[in-house]
Amino acid sequence: MSPAEKRSPLFHQLVVYLLFLILLLPLLGTLVYSLSTSWSATILPSGFTFKWYVALWSDARFLAAFGRSLLVCIAALALALLLILPLLFVVNYHFPKLDGVMNVLILLPFAIPPVVSSVGLMQLFASGPLPILGTPWILIGCYFTIALPFMYRAITNNLQAINLRDLMDAAHLLGASTWRAAFMVVLPNLRKGLMVSVFLSFSFLFGEFVFANLLVGSRYETLQVYLYNMRNDSGHFTSALVISYFMFVLLMTWAANRLNKDKS
Amino acid sequence: MSYLNIRGLHKSYGTTNIFTDINIEIGKGQFITLLGPSGCGKSTLLRCIAGLTAVDGGQILLGGEDLVPVAPQKRGIGMVFQSYALFPNMTVQQNVAFGLRMQKVPAAEASKRVAEVLELVELSDYADRYPQQLSGGQCQRAALARSLVTRPRLLLLDEPLSALDARIRKHLREQIRAIQRELGLTTIFVTHDQEEALVLSDRIVLMNGGQIVQSGDAETLYTAPADAFAAGFIGNYNLLDAEAASRLLLRPVNSRVAIRPEAIQIAAQGIEGRILGHSLLGNVIRYRIEARGVELTVDVLNRSAADLHAAGQAVNLTIDNHAIREVA
Repeated sequence: MSPAEKRSPLFHQLVVYLLFLILLLPLLGTLVYSLSTSWSATILPSGFTFKWYVALWSDARFLAAFGRSLLVCIAALALALLLILPLLFVVNYHFPKLDGVMNVLILLPFAIPPVVSSVGLMQLFASGPLPILGTPWILIGCYFTIALPFMYRAITNNLQAINLRDLMDAAHLLGASTWRAAFMVVLPNLRKGLMVSVFLSFSFLFGEFVFANLLVGSRYETLQVYLYNMRNDSGHFTSALVISYFMFVLLMTWAANRLNKDKS
Repeated sequence: MSYLNIRGLHKSYGTTNIFTDINIEIGKGQFITLLGPSGCGKSTLLRCIAGLTAVDGGQILLGGEDLVPVAPQKRGIGMVFQSYALFPNMTVQQNVAFGLRMQKVPAAEASKRVAEVLELVELSDYADRYPQQLSGGQCQRAALARSLVTRPRLLLLDEPLSALDARIRKHLREQIRAIQRELGLTTIFVTHDQEEALVLSDRIVLMNGGQIVQSGDAETLYTAPADAFAAGFIGNYNLLDAEAASRLLLRPVNSRVAIRPEAIQIAAQGIEGRILGHSLLGNVIRYRIEARGVELTVDVLNRSAADLHAAGQAVNLTIDNHAIREVA
């Protein structure tokens, strides 16, 4: 064995840890900052306290913003699920050729920068038959389009992994209607793809700022807009907000992972 | 009186004919094999009988009732797929019970029937496993149990053994046949494997290009192929054109000739030939022999290594006269 090979595991570990540290450093800094009484002219914070968290979690405006973010995300995801599941089923079962069209369609939200599309959306929904600019409705609709690609891809992969046609045929011959077969045989097998895509989209949407700020802004203050409006306040306070937000998303992801592992 | 009567069945996709004017009669309790190369329409025909694919014309009479307008759920047909098509989210027990749940069979009776059928396919110990925890052979037995438990009027098997390895395949095909006999179940089996077809079937329906080439028992299909396609598909026939056949047999022949490789013997005298090479198939040695400018395949029982003829050796051949078949 050459010396280079002997050294390699340690070297590789070192690189990984270093990368991890670099990625974690800003977060760690924020965490420490959110816990310190004051930390400006000294190398280390002068003292530790939970007061910023207490202040944050007892602020009615924060709680309202948190609730709004949660509501908008959940509504958008529910809408996406409600539409995507039947859509995917129809595309994969009846019109497999449509998959190509869908693949182009789901790329659109990525192709257009949020700033550009939000200007378009503002024009479209400021007046006219559907004046929903500034209301949560426009945000729900907009977030739906963002969640669509994630969910479509994840669930399509999941659908292709199971042999949809044969499973449906088998269920039909055993006496199940298409509806029953879809609910009893297909849906349970999509659980994994569903969970992954829902939680992925959720953590992404929960932190979305550009659309939220431009389309509704302070008229329907979501978490990120609230953070933005608080930018001139104490840095310790906003740090506490960032850490709280991060912990919440982390918790959701962990829960999703747990739920997924339990049954498989 | 036939039990299943397929009359003038026709199916096409656009301008492509999948099969045309298919007529098959099957007696109750018979085991029929649809045999043919891939793309010959045999699988589509099976799906049409099941009701999974709509037909363009014709009748499928099962016990006198025309199935064509009946939904697949109501046909009372069981089917086993090449891909098993077991529901991954259910255990073997739940998979098998699915059909009974759909029929709203009371739970007590259902669990009794599931236990019986799992016993029949020797899977009782695996009832609580999920499909991904089973081997291919076990999966296919579970799928078989699932299609049997509803007591179908007709059992369809769509290349059920093709995804399995050779040893399991042989064992399972015997098991399928034994169960089919025990239950007296009318069965249609689709395969592209001639050996499977010959071993299993009461009757073989040989298909090519969307048409039935020949229909008969294994013996007839093997010894009396209807045409060159049948001869080429079943067995390892020597197919000679008229000119080569005339040269070999030293008499004028007007059509193509098919000769089975085991109908040619290496003997003390006869047609002079020379060994080109051989391959060992186990109990049979398959020689390539050149005789009168014609290359022949000759099968000889592998009795002992001492009998083996080396390449280049001169031999004499005799051909059973009744085994020489003129085919169109």
